[in-house]
Amino acid sequence: MTAEQQNHEAHPTPAQYWKIAALLAVLTAIEVSLFYIDRELDLEIFNAVALIGLSTLKFIIVVGWFMHLRFEKPMLTRFFTAGFVLATALYLVLLSALGVVAVRGG
Amino acid sequence: MGSSIRRAPVSDVSQDIAVEHHEEHESTGIDNRKLGMWLFLSSEFLLFGALISNYLLYSNRSGFAGTYPADVYDIPFTSVSSFVLLMSSLTMVLAHNALSTGDQNGTRTWLFATAALGAVFLGGQVFEFTEFIVQNDMTLSTNPAASAFYLLTGFHGTHVAVGVIMLLSLWGISRKQGGLSEKHGLNLELVGLYWHFVDIIWIVIFTVVYLLSVPQ
Repeated sequence: MTAEQQNHEAHPTPAQYWKIAALLAVLTAIEVSLFYIDRELDLEIFNAVALIGLSTLKFIIVVGWFMHLRFEKPMLTRFFTAGFVLATALYLVLLSALGVVAVRGG
Repeated sequence: MGSSIRRAPVSDVSQDIAVEHHEEHESTGIDNRKLGMWLFLSSEFLLFGALISNYLLYSNRSGFAGTYPADVYDIPFTSVSSFVLLMSSLTMVLAHNALSTGDQNGTRTWLFATAALGAVFLGGQVFEFTEFIVQNDMTLSTNPAASAFYLLTGFHGTHVAVGVIMLLSLWGISRKQGGLSEKHGLNLELVGLYWHFVDIIWIVIFTVVYLLSVPQ
């Protein structure tokens, strides 16, 4: 059995893909619910933290399972993560400098 | 004998060069086209990051004349669009799975379903833009916040449209040739990677642009 075949066998089955999609749908429903709860109760920073957390979770699930990154060689993960981290860091610094993202401290 | 010894290595050397040449192109153990696609997608973060930052910069500034995007968002409608795009990622991965098991009919069905869901998402975006322009008088030139919104979501929509064209091309090839060959198998994987990337970018846009925006 080749490494390629072993790698492929590690991929999820169609039934597991449906379950992952159901989880993504539930996470989206929670996100939308949070949006309306925040309108009523004004959750302030908790709302932003929870929404970004849920969004990050969905992002990781799609990249890891649907894009199969967790089954690929680590080099691809490093390349992809590097691009994401570089872009996120660059624009967070930029938005902080322009006063859009508040940086607390000192 | 000496000459035969010299002749043999010449043949070996040419084979060695061929092997080294081959290894040079796959020294990473990953197909170059796949590696190229991952690098391309990684670089796209910078592009979409710039557009999202541009939107955040202007949507958080008050004082512009005209309607702000956050004032006219239809969250239930956009939630359904987001769900449609998420489910298109499922159908895409099912198409890839069907091809890897040799199920050509399944591959065609799921490919078409993915393209159809992508088209539904695009239709939703056209409807949303039309509503904003006609009902709410928020055009591309209303104010910088509106411009940034149309630029970001329009650019994402263009990516979706390109993805739909690639999916329909693969579907057409599959129909014409009675199935996708091994060569096209990698093409399907690359189109799949692109499609899932478009989905994860929308996951970020939906949260940051729609759910976290505060009406002015």
